[in-house]
Amino acid sequence: MQSNRSFIVQLQILTKRMVFRVIRRPLAELPNLIISAFFLFVYDGALGGVFGGAASGTPFDFAKGNFVNFILPVSIVSASLSGAASGIYLVEDIESGVFKRYQSMPISRWAIILAPMNVGAFRVLVQSSLILGIGKFIGADPAVGNIGFLIVLSLAFIWGMGFAGYSVAAGVKSGSSQGAQAATFLFFPAIFLAPTFVPREALKGWLETAAAYNPTTYVIESMRSVMVDGWELDVLFRGYLSAGIFAAITLTFAVISARKATEKA
Amino acid sequence: MLAVDVKNIKKTFISKKDTVEAVKDVSFQVKQGEIFGLLGPNGAGKSTTILMLTTLLSITEGNASILGIDVATKDKEVREKIGVALQDTGIDNLLTGRELFFTTCRLWGYSKKDSEVRTNELLDLVGLIEAADRRVKTYSGGMKRRLDLGLSLVHSPEILFLDEPTTGLDPGSRRVLWDEIKRLRDSGVTVILTTQYLEEADELADRIAIIDEGLVVAEGTSDELKASIGGDVITFAFDSDDDLENAKNILSNTVQEKNELRLTVEDGASRIPGYLKDLTGQGVEVSSVSANKPTLDDVFLEVTGYRLEGSEESPTPDEKSER
Ligand SMILES: Nc1ncnc2c1ncn2[C@@H]1O[C@H](COP(=O)(O)OP(=O)(O)OP(=O)(O)O)[C@@H](O)[C@H]1O
Ligand SMILES: [Mg+2]
Repeated sequence: MQSNRSFIVQLQILTKRMVFRVIRRPLAELPNLIISAFFLFVYDGALGGVFGGAASGTPFDFAKGNFVNFILPVSIVSASLSGAASGIYLVEDIESGVFKRYQSMPISRWAIILAPMNVGAFRVLVQSSLILGIGKFIGADPAVGNIGFLIVLSLAFIWGMGFAGYSVAAGVKSGSSQGAQAATFLFFPAIFLAPTFVPREALKGWLETAAAYNPTTYVIESMRSVMVDGWELDVLFRGYLSAGIFAAITLTFAVISARKATEKA
Repeated sequence: MLAVDVKNIKKTFISKKDTVEAVKDVSFQVKQGEIFGLLGPNGAGKSTTILMLTTLLSITEGNASILGIDVATKDKEVREKIGVALQDTGIDNLLTGRELFFTTCRLWGYSKKDSEVRTNELLDLVGLIEAADRRVKTYSGGMKRRLDLGLSLVHSPEILFLDEPTTGLDPGSRRVLWDEIKRLRDSGVTVILTTQYLEEADELADRIAIIDEGLVVAEGTSDELKASIGGDVITFAFDSDDDLENAKNILSNTVQEKNELRLTVEDGASRIPGYLKDLTGQGVEVSSVSANKPTLDDVFLEVTGYRLEGSEESPTPDEKSER
Protein backbone atom coordinates (compact mmCIF):
# COMPACT_ATOMS: atom_id res chain seq x y z
CA MET A 1 0.00 0.00 0.00
CA GLN A 2 2.97 2.26 0.55
CA SER A 3 3.14 4.71 -2.26
CA ASN A 4 4.82 8.03 -1.87
CA ARG A 5 7.69 8.91 0.36
CA SER A 6 9.31 11.56 -1.77
CA PHE A 7 11.12 14.41 -0.11
CA ILE A 8 8.57 16.92 -1.35
CA VAL A 9 5.63 15.00 0.05
CA GLN A 10 7.34 14.60 3.41
CA LEU A 11 8.24 18.26 3.54
CA GLN A 12 4.69 19.15 2.68
CA ILE A 13 3.24 16.92 5.41
CA LEU A 14 5.66 18.14 8.05
CA THR A 15 5.07 21.76 7.08
CA LYS A 16 1.34 21.29 7.28
CA ARG A 17 1.70 19.84 10.74
CA MET A 18 3.78 22.87 11.79
CA VAL A 19 1.16 25.19 10.38
CA PHE A 20 -1.43 23.39 12.52
CA ARG A 21 0.73 24.06 15.52
CA VAL A 22 0.96 27.75 14.71
CA ILE A 23 -2.75 28.11 14.04
CA ARG A 24 -3.59 26.38 17.31
CA ARG A 25 -1.59 28.92 19.23
CA PRO A 26 -2.75 32.13 17.63
CA LEU A 27 -1.81 34.21 20.65
CA ALA A 28 1.83 33.37 20.15
CA GLU A 29 1.68 35.37 16.92
CA LEU A 30 0.48 38.52 18.58
CA PRO A 31 3.42 39.97 20.53
CA ASN A 32 5.70 40.47 17.56
CA LEU A 33 2.87 41.73 15.41
CA ILE A 34 1.72 44.17 18.06
CA ILE A 35 5.23 45.47 18.68
CA SER A 36 5.70 46.04 14.97
CA ALA A 37 2.37 47.83 14.58
CA PHE A 38 3.10 49.76 17.75
CA PHE A 39 6.32 51.10 16.23
CA LEU A 40 4.41 52.24 13.23
CA PHE A 41 1.69 54.08 15.13
CA VAL A 42 3.73 55.47 17.97
CA TYR A 43 6.65 56.73 15.95
CA ASP A 44 4.40 58.12 13.32
CA GLY A 45 2.33 59.80 16.01
CA ALA A 46 5.34 61.10 17.93
CA LEU A 47 7.66 62.07 15.14
CA GLY A 48 5.45 62.30 12.09
CA GLY A 49 4.22 65.72 13.09
CA VAL A 50 7.77 67.06 13.35
CA PHE A 51 9.50 65.39 10.42
CA GLY A 52 6.54 64.72 8.21
CA GLY A 53 5.87 68.39 7.63
CA ALA A 54 9.39 69.83 7.59
CA ALA A 55 9.94 72.55 5.03
CA SER A 56 11.10 71.06 1.81
CA GLY A 57 14.81 71.52 1.12
CA THR A 58 15.76 71.63 4.83
CA PRO A 59 17.78 68.79 6.45
CA PHE A 60 14.63 67.83 8.35
CA ASP A 61 12.79 67.01 5.20
CA PHE A 62 14.28 63.48 4.89
CA ALA A 63 10.81 61.95 4.90
CA LYS A 64 9.75 64.10 1.96
CA GLY A 65 6.50 64.99 3.59
CA ASN A 66 5.36 61.42 4.40
CA PHE A 67 6.77 60.09 7.66
CA VAL A 68 4.86 56.82 7.35
CA ASN A 69 6.94 56.03 4.28
CA PHE A 70 10.03 56.70 6.32
CA ILE A 71 9.17 54.73 9.46
CA LEU A 72 7.37 51.78 7.81
CA PRO A 73 10.66 49.92 7.05
CA VAL A 74 11.48 49.88 10.77
CA SER A 75 8.17 48.19 11.50
CA ILE A 76 8.72 45.77 8.65
CA VAL A 77 12.15 44.80 9.88
CA SER A 78 10.61 44.27 13.28
CA ALA A 79 7.89 42.09 11.74
CA SER A 80 10.47 40.07 9.82
CA LEU A 81 12.06 39.01 13.09
CA SER A 82 9.11 36.65 13.40
CA GLY A 83 11.23 34.30 11.31
CA ALA A 84 13.12 33.53 14.51
CA ALA A 85 10.18 31.31 15.44
CA SER A 86 11.69 28.61 13.18
CA GLY A 87 14.32 27.76 15.74
CA ILE A 88 11.78 27.73 18.53
CA TYR A 89 9.51 25.34 16.61
CA LEU A 90 12.40 23.02 15.90
CA VAL A 91 13.67 22.99 19.47
CA GLU A 92 10.16 22.37 20.79
CA ASP A 93 10.14 19.20 18.73
CA ILE A 94 13.55 18.20 20.00
CA GLU A 95 12.48 18.79 23.60
CA SER A 96 9.19 16.96 23.26
CA GLY A 97 10.80 13.94 21.61
CA VAL A 98 8.85 14.34 18.37
CA PHE A 99 12.14 14.90 16.58
CA LYS A 100 13.41 11.51 17.79
CA ARG A 101 10.25 9.84 16.63
CA TYR A 102 10.71 11.26 13.14
CA GLN A 103 14.32 10.15 13.17
CA SER A 104 13.26 6.59 13.89
CA MET A 105 11.17 6.68 10.71
CA PRO A 106 12.47 6.70 7.15
CA ILE A 107 12.07 10.47 6.78
CA SER A 108 14.57 12.77 5.14
CA ARG A 109 16.32 14.74 7.86
CA TRP A 110 16.28 17.79 5.64
CA ALA A 111 12.51 17.63 5.50
CA ILE A 112 12.49 17.60 9.30
CA ILE A 113 14.63 20.72 9.43
CA LEU A 114 13.17 22.58 6.49
CA ALA A 115 9.59 22.32 7.72
CA PRO A 116 10.01 24.81 10.57
CA MET A 117 12.03 27.04 8.26
CA ASN A 118 9.13 27.03 5.83
CA VAL A 119 6.73 28.01 8.54
CA GLY A 120 9.11 30.72 9.75
CA ALA A 121 9.22 32.08 6.22
CA PHE A 122 5.46 31.92 5.98
CA ARG A 123 5.20 33.78 9.26
CA VAL A 124 7.55 36.50 8.04
CA LEU A 125 5.48 36.98 4.91
CA VAL A 126 2.18 37.11 6.76
CA GLN A 127 3.34 39.45 9.49
CA SER A 128 5.18 41.76 7.08
CA SER A 129 2.21 41.86 4.73
CA LEU A 130 -0.11 42.77 7.58
CA ILE A 131 2.17 45.61 8.62
CA LEU A 132 2.44 46.76 5.02
CA GLY A 133 -1.34 46.71 4.84
CA ILE A 134 -1.65 48.82 7.96
CA GLY A 135 1.04 51.16 6.60
CA LYS A 136 -0.82 51.59 3.35
CA PHE A 137 -4.01 52.21 5.26
CA ILE A 138 -2.47 55.05 7.27
CA GLY A 139 -0.90 56.63 4.23
CA ALA A 140 2.23 54.85 3.08
CA ASP A 141 2.79 55.58 -0.58
CA PRO A 142 6.04 54.28 -2.11
CA ALA A 143 7.95 56.75 -4.28
CA VAL A 144 8.40 54.03 -6.90
CA GLY A 145 4.73 53.08 -6.89
CA ASN A 146 3.09 49.95 -5.48
CA ILE A 147 5.93 47.74 -6.64
CA GLY A 148 7.77 49.34 -3.73
CA PHE A 149 5.67 47.29 -1.36
CA LEU A 150 6.80 44.11 -3.08
CA ILE A 151 10.42 45.16 -2.89
CA VAL A 152 10.07 45.89 0.81
CA LEU A 153 8.39 42.52 1.32
CA SER A 154 11.11 40.66 -0.55
CA LEU A 155 13.80 42.33 1.54
CA ALA A 156 11.87 41.53 4.70
CA PHE A 157 11.65 37.92 3.58
CA ILE A 158 15.38 37.48 3.05
CA TRP A 159 16.10 39.29 6.29
CA GLY A 160 13.57 37.17 8.15
CA MET A 161 15.13 33.98 6.84
CA GLY A 162 18.42 35.24 8.20
CA PHE A 163 16.83 35.36 11.62
CA ALA A 164 15.25 31.99 11.06
CA GLY A 165 18.68 30.53 10.35
CA TYR A 166 20.13 32.23 13.37
CA SER A 167 17.43 30.91 15.67
CA VAL A 168 17.72 27.37 14.32
CA ALA A 169 21.49 27.40 14.82
CA ALA A 170 21.24 28.91 18.30
CA GLY A 171 18.36 26.64 19.30
CA VAL A 172 19.90 23.42 18.06
CA LYS A 173 23.27 24.30 19.56
CA SER A 174 21.87 25.10 22.96
CA GLY A 175 19.32 22.31 22.65
CA SER A 176 16.71 24.34 24.50
CA SER A 177 13.93 26.65 23.49
CA GLN A 178 15.48 29.30 25.72
CA GLY A 179 18.46 29.20 23.41
CA ALA A 180 16.22 29.86 20.45
CA GLN A 181 14.31 32.52 22.36
CA ALA A 182 17.55 34.26 23.18
CA ALA A 183 17.99 34.77 19.48
CA THR A 184 15.17 37.24 19.57
CA PHE A 185 17.23 39.47 21.84
CA LEU A 186 19.25 40.38 18.79
CA PHE A 187 16.19 42.36 18.02
CA PHE A 188 17.26 45.32 20.16
CA PRO A 189 20.71 46.00 18.77
CA ALA A 190 19.49 45.15 15.30
CA ILE A 191 16.71 47.67 15.38
CA PHE A 192 18.10 50.43 17.53
CA LEU A 193 21.76 50.58 16.54
CA ALA A 194 20.56 51.73 13.16
CA PRO A 195 19.18 54.87 11.56
CA THR A 196 15.85 54.03 13.09
CA PHE A 197 14.26 57.42 13.56
CA VAL A 198 16.42 59.68 11.45
CA PRO A 199 18.73 59.16 8.47
CA ARG A 200 22.26 57.98 9.09
CA GLU A 201 23.69 61.46 8.43
CA ALA A 202 21.93 62.64 11.58
CA LEU A 203 23.51 59.99 13.82
CA LYS A 204 26.72 60.90 15.54
CA GLY A 205 29.61 59.42 17.49
CA TRP A 206 29.55 55.74 18.46
CA LEU A 207 26.05 55.22 17.18
CA GLU A 208 27.08 56.33 13.73
CA THR A 209 29.90 53.79 13.81
CA ALA A 210 27.72 51.02 15.18
CA ALA A 211 25.07 51.69 12.57
CA ALA A 212 27.64 51.49 9.81
CA TYR A 213 28.50 47.93 10.90
CA ASN A 214 24.91 46.87 11.42
CA PRO A 215 23.51 45.14 8.35
CA THR A 216 20.03 46.24 9.43
CA THR A 217 21.06 49.76 8.51
CA TYR A 218 21.43 48.85 4.85
CA VAL A 219 18.23 46.88 4.79
CA ILE A 220 16.28 49.79 6.27
CA GLU A 221 17.98 52.29 3.96
CA SER A 222 17.24 50.15 1.01
CA MET A 223 13.56 49.87 1.92
CA ARG A 224 13.44 53.58 2.55
CA SER A 225 14.95 54.38 -0.78
CA VAL A 226 12.01 52.87 -2.64
CA MET A 227 9.50 54.29 -0.19
CA VAL A 228 10.82 57.85 0.04
CA ASP A 229 13.26 58.66 -2.72
CA GLY A 230 12.58 56.54 -5.79
CA TRP A 231 14.91 54.22 -7.69
CA GLU A 232 18.41 54.32 -6.21
CA LEU A 233 19.86 51.09 -7.47
CA ASP A 234 23.10 51.25 -5.49
CA VAL A 235 21.23 51.68 -2.20
CA LEU A 236 18.80 48.95 -3.14
CA PHE A 237 21.61 46.62 -4.09
CA ARG A 238 23.39 47.21 -0.78
CA GLY A 239 20.22 46.25 1.07
CA TYR A 240 19.78 42.98 -0.80
CA LEU A 241 23.47 42.24 -0.41
CA SER A 242 23.45 42.81 3.38
CA ALA A 243 20.32 40.76 3.89
CA GLY A 244 21.60 38.09 1.53
CA ILE A 245 24.98 37.77 3.21
CA PHE A 246 23.40 37.71 6.65
CA ALA A 247 20.96 35.00 5.59
CA ALA A 248 23.66 33.00 3.82
CA ILE A 249 25.84 33.00 6.94
CA THR A 250 23.14 32.11 9.43
CA LEU A 251 21.56 29.49 7.18
CA THR A 252 24.94 27.85 6.72
CA PHE A 253 25.31 27.71 10.48
CA ALA A 254 21.81 26.35 10.73
CA VAL A 255 22.57 23.58 8.26
CA ILE A 256 25.83 22.68 9.98
CA SER A 257 24.33 22.57 13.45
CA ALA A 258 21.22 20.76 12.27
CA ARG A 259 23.35 18.16 10.55
CA LYS A 260 25.20 17.64 13.83
CA ALA A 261 21.95 17.38 15.73
CA THR A 262 20.63 14.69 13.43
CA GLU A 263 23.79 12.64 13.56
CA LYS A 264 23.85 9.70 15.88
CA ALA A 265 25.59 10.25 19.20
CA MET B 1 15.90 -16.39 11.48
CA LEU B 2 16.28 -14.53 14.74
CA ALA B 3 14.17 -11.43 15.17
CA VAL B 4 16.89 -9.69 17.11
CA ASP B 5 20.45 -10.82 17.59
CA VAL B 6 22.60 -8.75 19.90
CA LYS B 7 26.24 -9.65 20.39
CA ASN B 8 28.29 -7.95 23.06
CA ILE B 9 27.16 -4.44 22.38
CA LYS B 10 28.59 -1.58 24.32
CA LYS B 11 27.85 2.12 24.53
CA THR B 12 30.20 4.69 25.92
CA PHE B 13 29.18 8.33 26.11
CA ILE B 14 32.18 10.61 26.01
CA SER B 15 31.78 14.24 26.92
CA LYS B 16 34.29 16.85 27.98
CA LYS B 17 33.49 16.27 31.62
CA ASP B 18 33.38 12.51 31.89
CA THR B 19 32.98 9.16 30.25
CA VAL B 20 29.88 7.10 30.96
CA GLU B 21 29.73 3.40 30.14
CA ALA B 22 25.96 3.23 29.85
CA VAL B 23 25.98 -0.26 28.33
CA LYS B 24 28.99 -2.39 29.11
CA ASP B 25 28.24 -5.76 27.58
CA VAL B 26 24.81 -6.76 26.44
CA SER B 27 23.96 -9.85 24.42
CA PHE B 28 20.64 -11.53 23.81
CA GLN B 29 18.61 -13.23 21.15
CA VAL B 30 14.93 -12.75 20.46
CA LYS B 31 12.97 -15.29 18.45
CA GLN B 32 10.27 -14.20 16.07
CA GLY B 33 6.84 -13.96 17.59
CA GLU B 34 7.87 -13.69 21.22
CA ILE B 35 7.70 -10.97 23.81
CA PHE B 36 11.14 -10.32 25.16
CA GLY B 37 11.53 -8.30 28.35
CA LEU B 38 14.56 -6.32 29.40
CA LEU B 39 14.17 -5.99 33.13
CA GLY B 40 16.30 -3.60 35.11
CA PRO B 41 16.35 -0.70 37.56
CA ASN B 42 16.76 2.98 36.71
CA GLY B 43 20.00 3.67 34.93
CA ALA B 44 20.59 0.01 34.04
CA GLY B 45 21.06 0.86 30.37
CA LYS B 46 17.68 -0.29 29.04
CA SER B 47 16.87 2.84 27.04
CA THR B 48 20.40 3.11 25.73
CA THR B 49 20.15 -0.46 24.48
CA ILE B 50 16.81 0.23 22.81
CA LEU B 51 18.12 3.41 21.19
CA MET B 52 21.06 1.52 19.74
CA LEU B 53 18.87 -1.27 18.39
CA THR B 54 16.46 1.22 16.83
CA THR B 55 19.28 3.03 14.99
CA LEU B 56 18.92 6.19 17.07
CA LEU B 57 22.29 5.84 18.78
CA SER B 58 25.49 4.49 17.33
CA ILE B 59 26.88 1.28 18.78
CA THR B 60 30.29 1.81 20.33
CA GLU B 61 31.31 -1.83 20.10
CA GLY B 62 29.73 -5.14 19.19
CA ASN B 63 27.10 -6.17 16.66
CA ALA B 64 23.37 -6.16 16.44
CA SER B 65 21.05 -7.33 13.70
CA ILE B 66 17.31 -7.21 13.23
CA LEU B 67 15.87 -9.99 11.06
CA GLY B 68 19.41 -10.56 9.88
CA ILE B 69 19.91 -6.92 8.87
CA ASP B 70 22.89 -5.21 10.43
CA VAL B 71 21.76 -2.29 12.58
CA ALA B 72 24.91 -0.24 12.32
CA THR B 73 25.31 -0.27 8.55
CA LYS B 74 21.77 -0.68 7.23
CA ASP B 75 19.79 1.68 9.41
CA LYS B 76 17.34 2.65 6.65
CA GLU B 77 16.35 -0.96 6.06
CA VAL B 78 16.08 -1.63 9.76
CA ARG B 79 13.72 1.31 10.21
CA GLU B 80 11.33 -0.23 7.70
CA LYS B 81 11.02 -3.34 9.82
CA ILE B 82 10.69 -1.84 13.26
CA GLY B 83 8.16 0.15 15.22
CA VAL B 84 9.42 2.23 18.10
CA ALA B 85 7.76 3.76 21.14
CA LEU B 86 10.39 5.51 23.18
CA GLN B 87 10.39 6.24 26.88
CA ASP B 88 9.95 10.00 26.54
CA THR B 89 6.90 9.90 24.35
CA GLY B 90 7.34 12.20 21.41
CA ILE B 91 3.75 13.23 20.99
CA ASP B 92 2.56 16.50 19.56
CA ASN B 93 0.12 17.82 22.15
CA LEU B 94 -1.45 20.41 19.90
CA LEU B 95 -2.74 17.92 17.37
CA THR B 96 -5.67 15.56 17.73
CA GLY B 97 -5.19 11.80 17.91
CA ARG B 98 -6.67 11.44 14.45
CA GLU B 99 -4.38 14.09 12.96
CA LEU B 100 -1.36 12.43 14.52
CA PHE B 101 -2.25 9.06 13.05
CA PHE B 102 -3.04 10.57 9.68
CA THR B 103 0.22 12.53 9.58
CA THR B 104 2.21 9.48 10.60
CA CYS B 105 0.49 7.32 7.96
CA ARG B 106 1.27 9.93 5.31
CA LEU B 107 4.89 10.08 6.43
CA TRP B 108 5.15 6.33 6.04
CA GLY B 109 4.04 6.79 2.46
CA TYR B 110 0.37 5.90 2.54
CA SER B 111 -1.90 7.79 0.14
CA LYS B 112 -4.48 10.13 1.65
CA LYS B 113 -7.22 7.60 1.23
CA ASP B 114 -5.24 4.71 2.66
CA SER B 115 -4.12 6.93 5.50
CA GLU B 116 -7.72 7.60 6.47
CA VAL B 117 -8.52 3.90 6.47
CA ARG B 118 -5.42 2.98 8.43
CA THR B 119 -6.04 5.81 10.91
CA ASN B 120 -9.46 4.43 11.74
CA GLU B 121 -8.13 0.88 12.04
CA LEU B 122 -5.47 1.94 14.48
CA LEU B 123 -7.70 4.26 16.50
CA ASP B 124 -9.97 1.29 16.92
CA LEU B 125 -7.13 -1.07 17.77
CA VAL B 126 -5.85 1.08 20.63
CA GLY B 127 -9.32 2.09 21.77
CA LEU B 128 -9.12 5.78 21.01
CA ILE B 129 -12.02 6.18 18.57
CA GLU B 130 -14.02 8.29 20.96
CA ALA B 131 -11.15 10.59 21.83
CA ALA B 132 -9.90 10.74 18.25
CA ASP B 133 -10.87 14.31 17.59
CA ARG B 134 -9.67 15.75 20.85
CA ARG B 135 -6.28 17.33 21.19
CA VAL B 136 -3.72 14.99 22.67
CA LYS B 137 -3.14 17.54 25.43
CA THR B 138 -6.40 16.38 26.97
CA TYR B 139 -5.47 12.67 26.97
CA SER B 140 -4.71 10.77 30.15
CA GLY B 141 -1.36 9.08 30.67
CA GLY B 142 -2.79 5.71 29.70
CA MET B 143 -4.38 7.12 26.56
CA LYS B 144 -1.08 8.72 25.56
CA ARG B 145 0.71 5.40 25.95
CA ARG B 146 -1.88 3.67 23.83
CA LEU B 147 -1.63 6.42 21.24
CA ASP B 148 2.13 6.01 21.28
CA LEU B 149 1.77 2.27 20.80
CA GLY B 150 -0.66 2.84 17.93
CA LEU B 151 1.68 5.28 16.22
CA SER B 152 4.48 2.75 16.31
CA LEU B 153 2.23 0.28 14.50
CA VAL B 154 1.32 2.42 11.48
CA HIS B 155 3.50 0.57 8.98
CA SER B 156 2.69 -2.87 10.44
CA PRO B 157 6.21 -3.49 11.71
CA GLU B 158 7.42 -7.01 12.26
CA ILE B 159 9.42 -6.03 15.30
CA LEU B 160 8.20 -3.66 17.96
CA PHE B 161 10.39 -1.90 20.53
CA LEU B 162 8.62 -0.52 23.56
CA ASP B 163 10.64 1.33 26.18
CA GLU B 164 8.83 1.17 29.52
CA PRO B 165 5.38 1.11 27.92
CA THR B 166 3.49 1.04 31.22
CA THR B 167 5.58 3.16 33.56
CA GLY B 168 3.39 5.54 35.48
CA LEU B 169 0.13 3.78 34.64
CA ASP B 170 -2.37 2.52 37.17
CA PRO B 171 -2.85 -1.26 37.41
CA GLY B 172 -6.01 -1.17 35.29
CA SER B 173 -4.48 0.76 32.41
CA ARG B 174 -1.41 -1.40 32.66
CA ARG B 175 -3.48 -4.51 32.16
CA VAL B 176 -5.22 -2.99 29.14
CA LEU B 177 -1.85 -2.34 27.57
CA TRP B 178 -0.58 -5.81 28.42
CA ASP B 179 -3.56 -7.32 26.67
CA GLU B 180 -2.90 -5.21 23.61
CA ILE B 181 0.75 -6.22 23.55
CA LYS B 182 -0.18 -9.88 23.90
CA ARG B 183 -2.66 -9.57 21.08
CA LEU B 184 0.08 -8.12 18.89
CA ARG B 185 2.37 -10.98 19.78
CA ASP B 186 -0.38 -13.45 18.93
CA SER B 187 -0.76 -11.81 15.54
CA GLY B 188 2.91 -12.50 14.86
CA VAL B 189 4.64 -9.31 15.96
CA THR B 190 7.86 -9.70 17.88
CA VAL B 191 7.96 -7.39 20.89
CA ILE B 192 11.02 -6.19 22.77
CA LEU B 193 10.04 -4.21 25.81
CA THR B 194 11.83 -2.80 28.79
CA THR B 195 10.40 -2.62 32.25
CA GLN B 196 11.35 -2.02 35.83
CA TYR B 197 8.38 -4.01 37.08
CA LEU B 198 8.95 -7.62 38.05
CA GLU B 199 5.29 -8.40 37.72
CA GLU B 200 5.23 -7.05 34.18
CA ALA B 201 8.23 -9.11 33.13
CA ASP B 202 6.70 -12.15 34.81
CA GLU B 203 3.22 -11.78 33.28
CA LEU B 204 4.00 -10.41 29.87
CA ALA B 205 7.40 -11.52 28.69
CA ASP B 206 7.97 -14.93 27.17
CA ARG B 207 11.63 -14.53 27.95
CA ILE B 208 13.48 -12.10 30.17
CA ALA B 209 16.95 -10.65 30.36
CA ILE B 210 17.85 -9.00 33.63
CA ILE B 211 20.09 -6.03 33.03
CA ASP B 212 21.97 -4.20 35.72
CA GLU B 213 24.66 -1.55 35.44
CA GLY B 214 25.01 -2.11 31.72
CA LEU B 215 25.38 -5.88 31.91
CA VAL B 216 22.98 -8.77 31.26
CA VAL B 217 23.19 -10.72 34.50
CA ALA B 218 20.61 -13.42 33.78
CA GLU B 219 18.46 -14.58 30.91
CA GLY B 220 15.70 -17.08 30.33
CA THR B 221 11.99 -17.67 30.72
CA SER B 222 10.51 -16.63 34.01
CA ASP B 223 10.33 -20.28 35.07
CA GLU B 224 13.87 -21.00 34.02
CA LEU B 225 15.12 -18.04 35.97
CA LYS B 226 13.22 -19.09 39.04
CA ALA B 227 14.41 -22.68 38.65
CA SER B 228 17.98 -21.47 38.30
CA ILE B 229 17.86 -20.52 41.94
CA GLY B 230 17.53 -24.21 42.62
CA GLY B 231 14.74 -25.15 44.97
CA ASP B 232 12.85 -23.06 47.46
CA VAL B 233 13.66 -19.91 49.27
CA ILE B 234 13.63 -20.11 53.06
CA THR B 235 13.39 -16.77 54.78
CA PHE B 236 14.41 -16.35 58.41
CA ALA B 237 13.59 -13.11 60.18
CA PHE B 238 15.28 -11.92 63.36
CA ASP B 239 14.42 -9.32 65.96
CA SER B 240 17.95 -8.61 67.09
CA ASP B 241 21.10 -7.95 65.13
CA ASP B 242 23.07 -10.29 67.35
CA ASP B 243 20.77 -13.17 66.52
CA LEU B 244 21.08 -12.32 62.87
CA GLU B 245 24.87 -12.25 62.99
CA ASN B 246 25.02 -15.52 64.86
CA ALA B 247 22.59 -17.16 62.47
CA LYS B 248 24.71 -15.98 59.56
CA ASN B 249 27.64 -17.93 60.96
CA ILE B 250 25.62 -21.02 61.68
CA LEU B 251 23.85 -21.21 58.31
CA SER B 252 26.17 -20.94 55.36
CA ASN B 253 25.40 -19.41 51.97
CA THR B 254 22.73 -16.99 53.14
CA VAL B 255 21.83 -13.68 51.53
CA GLN B 256 20.97 -10.87 53.92
CA GLU B 257 18.17 -8.44 53.25
CA LYS B 258 17.53 -6.03 56.14
CA ASN B 259 16.65 -8.16 59.18
CA GLU B 260 16.16 -11.28 57.09
CA LEU B 261 18.37 -14.08 55.91
CA ARG B 262 17.55 -16.06 52.83
CA LEU B 263 18.63 -19.50 51.93
CA THR B 264 17.92 -21.39 48.76
CA VAL B 265 17.63 -25.14 49.09
CA GLU B 266 15.92 -28.09 47.49
CA ASP B 267 12.68 -29.08 49.12
CA GLY B 268 12.70 -26.20 51.58
CA ALA B 269 9.67 -26.91 53.74
CA SER B 270 10.92 -30.26 54.95
CA ARG B 271 14.25 -28.81 55.99
CA ILE B 272 12.95 -25.98 58.13
CA PRO B 273 12.75 -28.05 61.37
CA GLY B 274 16.39 -29.07 61.01
CA TYR B 275 17.55 -25.50 60.55
CA LEU B 276 15.46 -24.28 63.46
CA LYS B 277 16.94 -26.93 65.66
CA ASP B 278 20.46 -25.84 64.74
CA LEU B 279 19.66 -22.23 65.46
CA THR B 280 17.74 -22.55 68.70
CA GLY B 281 20.26 -25.11 69.87
CA GLN B 282 22.87 -22.35 69.82
CA GLY B 283 20.59 -19.82 71.46
CA VAL B 284 19.54 -17.88 68.40
CA GLU B 285 16.00 -16.56 68.51
CA VAL B 286 14.18 -16.69 65.19
CA SER B 287 11.14 -14.42 64.96
CA SER B 288 9.69 -16.02 61.84
CA VAL B 289 10.52 -18.46 59.14
CA SER B 290 8.91 -19.40 55.85
CA ALA B 291 9.60 -21.38 52.73
CA ASN B 292 8.44 -20.21 49.30
CA LYS B 293 8.85 -20.94 45.67
CA PRO B 294 11.31 -18.37 44.36
CA THR B 295 9.91 -15.27 42.70
CA LEU B 296 11.56 -13.13 40.06
CA ASP B 297 12.36 -10.83 42.93
CA ASP B 298 14.45 -13.57 44.48
CA VAL B 299 16.16 -14.13 41.17
CA PHE B 300 16.89 -10.45 40.97
CA LEU B 301 18.32 -10.43 44.47
CA GLU B 302 20.39 -13.49 43.71
CA VAL B 303 21.97 -12.08 40.54
CA THR B 304 22.38 -8.45 41.54
CA GLY B 305 22.66 -8.57 45.31
CA TYR B 306 19.78 -6.19 45.89
CA ARG B 307 16.06 -5.93 45.37
CA LEU B 308 14.29 -4.24 42.51
CA GLU B 309 10.95 -3.70 44.20
CA GLY B 310 10.54 -0.44 46.06
CA SER B 311 13.19 0.98 43.80
CA GLU B 312 12.79 4.45 45.33
CA GLU B 313 14.59 3.11 48.37
CA SER B 314 16.94 0.91 46.45
CA PRO B 315 20.52 2.06 46.61
CA THR B 316 22.18 4.01 43.85
CA PRO B 317 24.90 2.12 42.02
CA ASP B 318 27.55 3.92 44.08
CA GLU B 319 26.13 2.88 47.39
CA LYS B 320 25.77 -0.64 46.12
CA SER B 321 29.41 -1.07 45.28
CA GLU B 322 30.36 -0.07 48.80
CA ARG B 323 28.71 -3.11 50.27
N1 LIG C 1 23.47 10.85 26.37
C1 LIG C 1 24.02 10.40 27.50
N2 LIG C 1 25.18 10.92 27.94
C2 LIG C 1 25.75 10.47 29.08
N3 LIG C 1 25.24 9.50 29.84
C3 LIG C 1 24.09 8.95 29.47
C4 LIG C 1 23.42 9.36 28.28
N4 LIG C 1 22.29 8.62 28.16
C5 LIG C 1 22.27 7.80 29.22
N5 LIG C 1 23.34 7.97 30.01
C6 LIG C 1 23.67 7.23 31.24
O1 LIG C 1 23.67 5.87 30.94
C7 LIG C 1 23.12 5.13 32.00
C8 LIG C 1 21.99 4.27 31.47
O2 LIG C 1 20.92 5.10 31.07
P1 LIG C 1 19.57 4.53 30.44
O3 LIG C 1 18.72 5.69 30.11
O4 LIG C 1 19.92 3.60 29.34
O5 LIG C 1 18.97 3.73 31.66
P2 LIG C 1 17.55 3.03 31.78
O6 LIG C 1 17.81 1.63 32.13
O7 LIG C 1 16.74 3.30 30.58
O8 LIG C 1 16.95 3.78 33.04
P3 LIG C 1 15.44 4.25 33.34
O9 LIG C 1 14.75 3.08 33.93
O10 LIG C 1 15.63 5.32 34.35
O11 LIG C 1 14.85 4.73 32.08
C9 LIG C 1 22.69 6.12 33.05
O12 LIG C 1 23.68 6.17 34.04
C10 LIG C 1 22.62 7.42 32.31
O13 LIG C 1 22.93 8.49 33.15
MG1 LIG D 1 15.02 4.23 30.23
